[in-house]
Amino acid sequence: MLLKLSLTGIKERLRDYIVLFSGLVMASGIFYMFESLATNKAFLENNSMISSVVLIFHLGTVLLSIITFVYILYANSFLMTMRQKDYAMFMMLGAKGRKIAQLIFIETFVVGIGATLVGTLLGIGLSSIVQQLLVQQLAIKITHFTAVNTSAVVFTIIFFAVIFLLAALVNAMTIVKKPILNLLKASETPLPANRKFVTLILEVLAGILFLGIGYFMMIQVTNLAFLALVVALVTIILGTYFVFHSILIFVLDILKRHDSIALKNLNNFTLSQLSFRIQDYTRILSMVAMLFALALGAITVGLGFHNEIMKMTEATSAYDLVLNNGQNFSASDLKQINATSDAIYQQKEDNDTVYYDRAQFDQTPLRTKELTMSRQAKKVAYTGEQLANDVTASDQLRSLELPEQSAKKHQFLTSEAFAALPSSATELRVITVADFTKDKEALKNLANENFRKNPTLDKNMSSMNQKVLVYELYNALFSGFEFMGFFLGIAFLTMLASCLMFKILSGAKSDIQRYSMLEKIGTRRNLLKQSIRKEIGILFLVPGLLGVTHVLFGLQMFKTLLSDPIVIFGCRF
Amino acid sequence: MEKIVTVNEVKKTYGKGNQKQTQALKGISFEVEKGEFVGIMGASGSGKSTLLNLLATLDKPTDGKIRINQADVTKLSGNKLADFRSREIGFIFQDFNLLENLTAAENIAVPLSLQGVKGKDIHRRVAEVAKRLSIDSILNSYPAQISGGQKQRVAAARALITQPTILLGDEPTGALDSNSARDLLDTMEELNQKDQVSILLVTHDPFSASYCQRILFIKDGVIYQEVKRENQTREAFYRQILSILGNLEQ
Repeated sequence: MLLKLSLTGIKERLRDYIVLFSGLVMASGIFYMFESLATNKAFLENNSMISSVVLIFHLGTVLLSIITFVYILYANSFLMTMRQKDYAMFMMLGAKGRKIAQLIFIETFVVGIGATLVGTLLGIGLSSIVQQLLVQQLAIKITHFTAVNTSAVVFTIIFFAVIFLLAALVNAMTIVKKPILNLLKASETPLPANRKFVTLILEVLAGILFLGIGYFMMIQVTNLAFLALVVALVTIILGTYFVFHSILIFVLDILKRHDSIALKNLNNFTLSQLSFRIQDYTRILSMVAMLFALALGAITVGLGFHNEIMKMTEATSAYDLVLNNGQNFSASDLKQINATSDAIYQQKEDNDTVYYDRAQFDQTPLRTKELTMSRQAKKVAYTGEQLANDVTASDQLRSLELPEQSAKKHQFLTSEAFAALPSSATELRVITVADFTKDKEALKNLANENFRKNPTLDKNMSSMNQKVLVYELYNALFSGFEFMGFFLGIAFLTMLASCLMFKILSGAKSDIQRYSMLEKIGTRRNLLKQSIRKEIGILFLVPGLLGVTHVLFGLQMFKTLLSDPIVIFGCRF
Repeated sequence: MEKIVTVNEVKKTYGKGNQKQTQALKGISFEVEKGEFVGIMGASGSGKSTLLNLLATLDKPTDGKIRINQADVTKLSGNKLADFRSREIGFIFQDFNLLENLTAAENIAVPLSLQGVKGKDIHRRVAEVAKRLSIDSILNSYPAQISGGQKQRVAAARALITQPTILLGDEPTGALDSNSARDLLDTMEELNQKDQVSILLVTHDPFSASYCQRILFIKDGVIYQEVKRENQTREAFYRQILSILGNLEQ
């Protein structure tokens, strides 16, 4: 009978239950997504050149666990405020406390485990969707990653089962121990926290100090290494908390003191609503800010690597295609690409010398990319004169030649002298195209054709001349990082939106009352809507801004990796 | 005398087409003149809450007309209706309906900021009305920190600050202890007599009703009887109300 009663209770509040359930499903889904990477050692080790990546994922697991735990804590208290009145009423009607405790235990646990199972499935689905999306959109190659990962499934389910077991126990105890009257009145609004101005100021200072230390550690990450990461993690979490707990309240307080701002339309109400909200939401907003930082950080790193592929490819070669014995390629062969420049240098050779027509280089100088002292790729052009006198310059030319040619000496002759040489001329063709990305496939075909027509070319060595092959090499190298970045970024963003939406939706009931009150005293509907929009906008914006700031400092960590990749992936140069 | 409220043959039926129809008001007509203190009494289900919602422009009648300060409120909607409500009608509810995240002063100021009154004037007018209702000492407290009687005074101050055409009270003493109730009613009577504030009070409490000058008794959706206090003492009027209520429930 009681079970039936409690089930009808659920039916009546279906909307609230949907909010609760979908919130929990998202939490476990995202947790699974993260773990599907974090527990996949083969993937992590195969796709990163830094050993610390496994460690970073361990830290990430800890952080995400804390966030999930707080999320579930909120969800649970939402569940309790929904249900304790009903249960207290059953008790008033004579139901035994033990029975009620059992019921609420079962309810919490079943809702939790149900959500976890659905969430894990959702996580698997999301993982594979995101994986396919990324592979298609970014044209990256992924190895050792599968959406279905047994250890992640097991870890997710165990983690959530333990948390819900605890929550169920706590709920059951609360129901039995609290006096019935308190349970019945539980949903009444709490008193506004009356905080002393001095404490507020101290907390504001503490917040700024914590953030300062955290950001300093991020900047110093190259010197302090692991210690900086741990210290930054702790201080930035504390700092974020204080920003919401105090700094923001302080700012709202100042705004409220300005008549021209506060006493206009519903501003005073909106500000107060925010101020109350933020005190109530401190933890969730801190979480959201952290999640936003993580998401943005991950996506920026992903994007960084994505751009790095093209940047590094560009740095290796001034031409998009190099054809040896270019006379063997017909005009129709080159039709597939949209060439913007097509320089032909004629070569004649004997046993120990390759001869070039100096005038051809004067007309179209040979372009190369050279690395400066600061490791920037610099464009250089060499005329025939320079090639004849500069050994480094002529080495650049040599690197484009066939292996049997590059062992010989160079001679740059006048056009007449070159024409007078008895042997027949071959061609070295260097081509650039309008849009490398668009012509990638065609370039690849032509590059392979060049290898086929010139069997003496060493595939390993000469690949570096063909931009498209260099691109593929870097793409394979960086794709793992890129994938991790985007995958986690998307996961964290979803979690963040879900967190905030959950909290806002679960508080909607008391809001509706306030808005209807305002409407009764003659507030225009568009003003009410404006107030709601402002409030929700700020609730998303502030953690967003803080998240961005975190990322700006946090990226120092990856800066070394991104701006100077040659050091790490070097050796080739 | 100037008529500020005219209710003409107002009917209200609940329930849409295919549902069961309930006629809450079956044709009610009455008038309120400027400076009057009118009570509307009736048992639960008599239709008095429906009538109040119509007067408050929170709901529209199925048939009939309601004019407040010359305007036909049944024809207003959207922003015009909201503006009308904020300008012409002051509300006091049984459960106060204060915004618990604003201080007393901020609560009182809300209608003025909605009307775009300047900050300086808002402060002055809040101070005035607070003094009038003896709540100047609690202006910076939040609703949760003050007593029920004080909350209702704050609500009254919020209702009066726009100097509305009419003050509507929906069981304003319903949630108050007897001393606070008496204080509030004394204040309302004083506002009515000294400041010519027109008041319409819906109640089922004979003691509250005895402060009115005229009472309309509603039964089953129609006006059953109308009585005037005239020169009677409040005690005598109170006894008269009790005896009418006795008859009403027979």
